[in-house]
Amino acid sequence: MDDIDAMFSDLLGEMDLLTQSLGVETLPPEPPSSSSREMNFSMGFADMNVESLNELEENDLDALMADLMADLNDTEEKLAAELGGKKEAEAPHPDLPPASHGLSFYPVPSLSTPTSPERGPNTFSAPLADSPAPIHSPPTLPQHAKPSKEEIEAQMKADKIKLALEKLKEAKVKKLVVKVVMHDGSSKTLMVDERQTVRDVLDNLFEKTHCDCNVDWSLSETNPELQLERGFEDHENLVDPLSAWTRDSENKVIFQERPDKYEVFKNPQNFYLWKKDKKTIKDMKDRDKELLVEENFCGTSIIVPDLEGVLYLREDGKKSWKQRLFLLRASGIYYVPKGKSKTSRDLVCFVQFDNVNVYYGKEFKNKYKAPTDFCFVLKHPQIQKESQYIKYLCCDDAWTMNLWVTGIRIAKYGKSLYENYKTSMKKAAVTTAWTNRTAATAATTSIPSTPSPTTKAKASGQANGHAPQPPAEPVAKVGNAPPPPPPLLPTQILPPPPPDPVLPPPPPPLATKRSPPATSVSRQLPSLPTLPTSFPPSPTSMANLPPPPPSLSQDDSSESPPDFLPPPPPTLGFGPGAGSLPPPPPVSLPPPPPPDPGFPLPPPPPDPAFCPVTNRGSLPAPPPRQSYIGAGAPPPPPPPPPASAGLQSTPSVRRTGPPPPKRTTPPLAAPGGGDFMSELAKAMAKKRGNQ
Amino acid sequence: MAAWDLSVAVEDLGADAPPITVSVTSDLHIGGVILKLVEKSQVKRDWSDHALWWEQKQQWLLRTAWTLEKCGIQADAGLIFMPQHKPLRLGLPNGLNLRLRVCFSGPVFRTVLGICKMLNIRRPEELSLLRPVEEKKRKKDRDLSEELYDLTEVPLTSVSRPCLYNGMPAHFADSPKTEKVYKMLSVAQPAPPPEAIAKLYRPASVVDKAHIHSRWLDSSRSLMEQGVQENDRLWLRFKYYCFHDLEPKYDAVRLTQMYEQARWAILLEDIECTEEEMLLFGAIQYHINKLSLSEPQTMTSSPAMDDLDSALQCLEVKLVGADSSPQDMLENLTAPELNDYLKIFRPKRLTLKGYKQYWFKFKDASISYYKSKEESLGEPIQQINLKGCEAAPDVNVAGQKFCIKLLIPAPEGMNEVYLRCENEEQYSSWMAACRLASKGKSLADSSFQSEVQSIRSFLAMQQTNPNTHTDDSMSINTHSLVSPRYSKKYKAKQLTPRILEAYQNVAQLSLTDALLRFLQIWQALPDFGISLVVVRFKGSRKDEVLGIAPNRLIRIDLGVGEVVKTWRYNNMRQWNVNWDIRQVAIEFDGNVNIAFSCVTADCKIVHEFIGGYIFMSTRSREQSDTLNEELFHKLTGGHEAL
Repeated sequence: MDDIDAMFSDLLGEMDLLTQSLGVETLPPEPPSSSSREMNFSMGFADMNVESLNELEENDLDALMADLMADLNDTEEKLAAELGGKKEAEAPHPDLPPASHGLSFYPVPSLSTPTSPERGPNTFSAPLADSPAPIHSPPTLPQHAKPSKEEIEAQMKADKIKLALEKLKEAKVKKLVVKVVMHDGSSKTLMVDERQTVRDVLDNLFEKTHCDCNVDWSLSETNPELQLERGFEDHENLVDPLSAWTRDSENKVIFQERPDKYEVFKNPQNFYLWKKDKKTIKDMKDRDKELLVEENFCGTSIIVPDLEGVLYLREDGKKSWKQRLFLLRASGIYYVPKGKSKTSRDLVCFVQFDNVNVYYGKEFKNKYKAPTDFCFVLKHPQIQKESQYIKYLCCDDAWTMNLWVTGIRIAKYGKSLYENYKTSMKKAAVTTAWTNRTAATAATTSIPSTPSPTTKAKASGQANGHAPQPPAEPVAKVGNAPPPPPPLLPTQILPPPPPDPVLPPPPPPLATKRSPPATSVSRQLPSLPTLPTSFPPSPTSMANLPPPPPSLSQDDSSESPPDFLPPPPPTLGFGPGAGSLPPPPPVSLPPPPPPDPGFPLPPPPPDPAFCPVTNRGSLPAPPPRQSYIGAGAPPPPPPPPPASAGLQSTPSVRRTGPPPPKRTTPPLAAPGGGDFMSELAKAMAKKRGNQ
Repeated sequence: MAAWDLSVAVEDLGADAPPITVSVTSDLHIGGVILKLVEKSQVKRDWSDHALWWEQKQQWLLRTAWTLEKCGIQADAGLIFMPQHKPLRLGLPNGLNLRLRVCFSGPVFRTVLGICKMLNIRRPEELSLLRPVEEKKRKKDRDLSEELYDLTEVPLTSVSRPCLYNGMPAHFADSPKTEKVYKMLSVAQPAPPPEAIAKLYRPASVVDKAHIHSRWLDSSRSLMEQGVQENDRLWLRFKYYCFHDLEPKYDAVRLTQMYEQARWAILLEDIECTEEEMLLFGAIQYHINKLSLSEPQTMTSSPAMDDLDSALQCLEVKLVGADSSPQDMLENLTAPELNDYLKIFRPKRLTLKGYKQYWFKFKDASISYYKSKEESLGEPIQQINLKGCEAAPDVNVAGQKFCIKLLIPAPEGMNEVYLRCENEEQYSSWMAACRLASKGKSLADSSFQSEVQSIRSFLAMQQTNPNTHTDDSMSINTHSLVSPRYSKKYKAKQLTPRILEAYQNVAQLSLTDALLRFLQIWQALPDFGISLVVVRFKGSRKDEVLGIAPNRLIRIDLGVGEVVKTWRYNNMRQWNVNWDIRQVAIEFDGNVNIAFSCVTADCKIVHEFIGGYIFMSTRSREQSDTLNEELFHKLTGGHEAL
């Protein structure tokens, strides 16, 4: 026991250090509206006015918070079981279905589960927690810490120490806050840790957007400077390529349908029998297509389409394009030197794929005087600007370009591509089934809905109630109009929500998301900073626009606040009270490095206080509650997220119940129809009473 | 019925012994003849494997219930009474020869099944026998002294699935001699000397390659019927290039022999590849050689290894779990470093200064350098992150030049940086560190030491003075790893660094993975799996080449050497062989009909190839264990099968 105690105190000490360093980091960014890290965010928002910025930030923050909460779920489930955290968690489940309409964060948790380092500390030292895990940490910490120290046995302590160690390890996990541009131009902000694959992130986005989850959905990156675009492969880690972006990068991550992504599996004959006449290819029977896929992807070795053809190559450093006969082989692209034959031994290697990725070039006719606009590029992912190391190729037509790009992907990724496709297919099948089911349940619950597309149902709900903000798609619809007058939107929305405070909050986020079409990625640590940065504006905006600033004050003041908490946390960040701190969601990295003086700052930022009082009261606060309540009502989404949410909300004490607000709100919104709203309100009230 | 005398030679009595004459009647069945024969010979032994061979008609009399009359045998028939199983010298894909007892009386397909069962090769339908290429006289003398592995003493087992003993099939575990044979079968052979490669027959043209395929034996007839005699030489090779259900756990021999066949196909330029591919093949060969020498047990004792692996994993988990103090944890999180004075040169800066010395520190995946060791606690002059970089050697051992050329990606492009080390030691460590860092690994990675080792051994290969060789097993002539074409094109000095470069991509592979990788790259070559036959298409006046691949037929113009047309089996309606005019006619969907006569190979061989591939495609994972022999014969047998 002594040993354990000693270790424990050691650990606490470490935690303190970590948390301090975290706090510092976070703070600095906030004050200066534009720090390098913040840059990204500002970029994304550049177009928007101050008000819109504020809103955006809130929304983004909300989303992030939700992500974080999801992360915490695991921990909470383990630790909070005794405390009754489970109850909360369960409650949220019901909500989930509705939430799914808007934004369903719960799925995310599983991905992000790893937990940010902060949590670890939090759990141990409840008080310290403030800086690290924004919202979640506070709740968890108090609960656990107290029981463990005073009431629980050594065993518990040991377990916790283990947990803490794990978390320390996880602290090393790099996380990024990523702004993803949706197909409609709106955007969503997510936290992505370095262990997450693109597939994970896509699943996450599916949850949030309620799109149809078909296999074409993909994440792409664009590089405006080089006019390049590339679809990420599902098995790639998202953080890696994003880490290569420069700080002032205008690159974006886009969530969109790309039919070319898996075209090779749908119509393999286009790639493997490209030499055949068009009619044969067109009349291909399904069975033969399957056979082709099997032949080329299911053997002991992947077969790369044997492409060959004359392409234009942009000469190094020159502005001219020269024709060459190129051949694709599994080992790379080759060309036939002048006067030589096409036999293997005479081929000259043009490029191998180990260190390069293939990108589509856009409008190269203008930019580089290319013969056509059907260009593709091979470059090291870390090269972000003009360079002699970038290889530019130009094809006669789109068809040829597609052939080559796909062929190169097959050569580079091989079996992974097919595995990805199979996973996507499964996912698509499951979601279709699930969507139908949820839709059915929704219908029974009297929620307006079209059977198949849940999202649509939501959207419709939103239209009525506005509330549905969370769901990206729906939002987009609403948002489209709103974006220009971001502030207005919130206000507009507000009217409906007033009764159900919950609803309003969500809408703002939506609007904000859309408005900032640009995606920005903040580096790992930066993630924290980003939040802060956003905050700074928010306060001001808050002042202007009452709505955004949600309501930290409320939280602080009473139970009800917890609901509000979600939105504020970001703004509040560390600054305010330990409890409010949760905002740091981005946190991930914070622990180690930057020990800034920031501390003082964090407290101030707590917009929550500012805004809370003014507008927030009505709008923000309610949404969260609703969500919780909602959870109780709609059974569909069982996921744990709610629990985490709860934690977040309860910065100081266990307000667990309220935290989920964000998610809940969406659901509420969906029901928005009206009956639901009132029901939700009742439920919320009940919950509060309980708390 | 009148009795008459039938004289039968009994092989076991010796070639000079007079034939034994038995008195028979025409309605006596073959079994009765054999019985009389054995009684008359008065030799007491096990005759159960013996049967009658009809010399003039070149056929076995295996139906013992048939009467002499039914068989058409009269007093002038020259019959020989001989064992059905006889020793055969078998050339394996790895180039070594094995002597073993095989069935001379059943169809070759059945004989191959028996051989593969003995050698523990699964999926025997993918292999077949062919007559070896005649060697020049001079070489034949050498052959006599060639080591011959003998398995003739091994009893023929009837066990359907051999049980494992000591990691090898029980019949190999009998004696040290047979264990040695198994090792030869299941472990890749060391690289041959470049002179040996140069001496071996290499097909020089498409037509040469086509001639190889005229040598395949007919699967539906027996060895004796095809003129193969006791102790003749035949080659065992993979014939159908669709390898079903490859499972390293059970396929040690199959995998190794497949690798050997692929390796020789590449070394002898039987299949063409590009320079880059050749270098990669060379690198993997080098890696496989090294692993085969250093850990010959891994393939054979896999169950034990599995246990060990899992035990180690357990241990690891425990250790991690027991890692209780946060301080320890934090320490573990920090990686070791390298510190030394090195010289750096950055060509991009356009300075004429050349190499300049600094104090370098390698930590995690980045290099920092300082003016001097004393200043290493302060801010570095520069810090370079090596993740994603390319690290290439720029080494001249004789000239004592040990440089590392780094191509470091940056947003603006690739930065070129040269690091100059003082000696081999320093170079090996720093190069290894750079390699790991380029893959995002730190010095703490377990592969660091092995990376250092392999760099050293490659440096040793470059030693011009053979006296300095420290480790014989590592000193491989890189010319043994590439085909003669590249041996001629490059000196070892040029070849070695390039193979080393390719090697860094495969250095971490286990033996099995390396074998599989080699096969995969082989299978990914555009010309893989195409067996060529010279044919003449109906209506055409010139010879063309028909390529038979696992999924398609291709028509190649001999003049240009290019593929003119491709037909896929998927679209095939039917194919027929007109045995009288020796013509193959094939009909495809859409009323496409082709017909050709075969020039270099018998049309039975072409027919068997097509039927064989179609048979291979009928195999599915579910029925993986049962071989549908009847279907195979139906598809490949031709008129004889009917």
